[in-house]
Amino acid sequence: MVIISEGSGTEKSAEGGARWSASAAAFTAWRDGDREALDELVRLLSPTLWHVVRATGLDRASAEDVVQSTWLALVDKADSIANPMAVAGWLCTTARRDAWKISKNLRRELATEDDSLGWSLPSMEGPEAGVVLREDHARLRTCLTRLNERCQALLRMLAAGPRPDYAEVSDALDMPVGSIGPTRARCLDKLRVELVSEGAL
Amino acid sequence: MADEPLTPEDAAADAELLDTIAELWNVLDPPPEDLSEGVLARIETNDLDAELLTLVEWDKELSGVRSVTMLRAPDEVGTWSLEYLGPGFRVQVRISRSARQARLDGWVVPAQPMTVHLTSMGKNSTSDETRVSDSGRFEFPVTPTGACRLTFISDPSGSRPLVTPPFWI
Repeated sequence: MVIISEGSGTEKSAEGGARWSASAAAFTAWRDGDREALDELVRLLSPTLWHVVRATGLDRASAEDVVQSTWLALVDKADSIANPMAVAGWLCTTARRDAWKISKNLRRELATEDDSLGWSLPSMEGPEAGVVLREDHARLRTCLTRLNERCQALLRMLAAGPRPDYAEVSDALDMPVGSIGPTRARCLDKLRVELVSEGAL
Repeated sequence: MADEPLTPEDAAADAELLDTIAELWNVLDPPPEDLSEGVLARIETNDLDAELLTLVEWDKELSGVRSVTMLRAPDEVGTWSLEYLGPGFRVQVRISRSARQARLDGWVVPAQPMTVHLTSMGKNSTSDETRVSDSGRFEFPVTPTGACRLTFISDPSGSRPLVTPPFWI
């Protein structure tokens, strides 16, 4: 049994909670005819959508495209969102579904032997090259890379935004729905063990 | 195996750890700086019911090509070119920037009668208008700065306007 509920109320932190409330307010204002409120909404939630999409393993250019088309879908279907508090969840779910669809197709085309290739932490090339990590971040990264790729993928996905529902995760990672909760717990436990061994916890 | 019910303390600890992972990813894989601008531009294009021209060539010096939706010119003075492909024609654009102002010169190939709008996309949006000459040339001797786009309306009008993705002047 999972106690944490699904849906718009699953923000993990106070900061996240404030963001969802602000986005609900902006969404309401925009639907009431304030055009600039859409700008605010886009600026508030696009970074979250970015991470939600990138967590599916999609490359940066495709990710940007998915983020854009997700917003177009919102503009198109705004009337179908009854509860403004649900707007962040709606956007993330829409973005994640599109991204998974595309990244699955891409991976099929690439037909890599290692299907989990796309999930691994990025190599040192790419935008993160040259980034100097804070000490605690560097330690966390080291510990994350010691987990198997499925764990890395799952934790990145769960960290990225409002929690996806387990049926979606199951589909994306080819894991039975019932095993996601225990896998999540196991991955977090392993990560804690690694962090302890690094003296970070 | 079913999940053990999480105690509130465990749930909070998990949430904290996931937040830290999210922070790390935000450092390792930050969103493009102009992610939101690109989104807003795309929404606006959609609202215009216009057709988007495809960017086919751009100067390597134009930094920010990580995001083709939003080409960002370098901050120095100089000249940069862009080329767009539309249905049945190409548009070449040259942006020249001096210390004080910028100008934009364009060529439509093959030449055809069109009206061209140069629209800045900031909060105080402005729009200038000119015509494509018989030889296919058009110019905006003084341009706005920031994110801009060009809109082409063919004579006789009736077909959908064609717009470029936003670029920076």
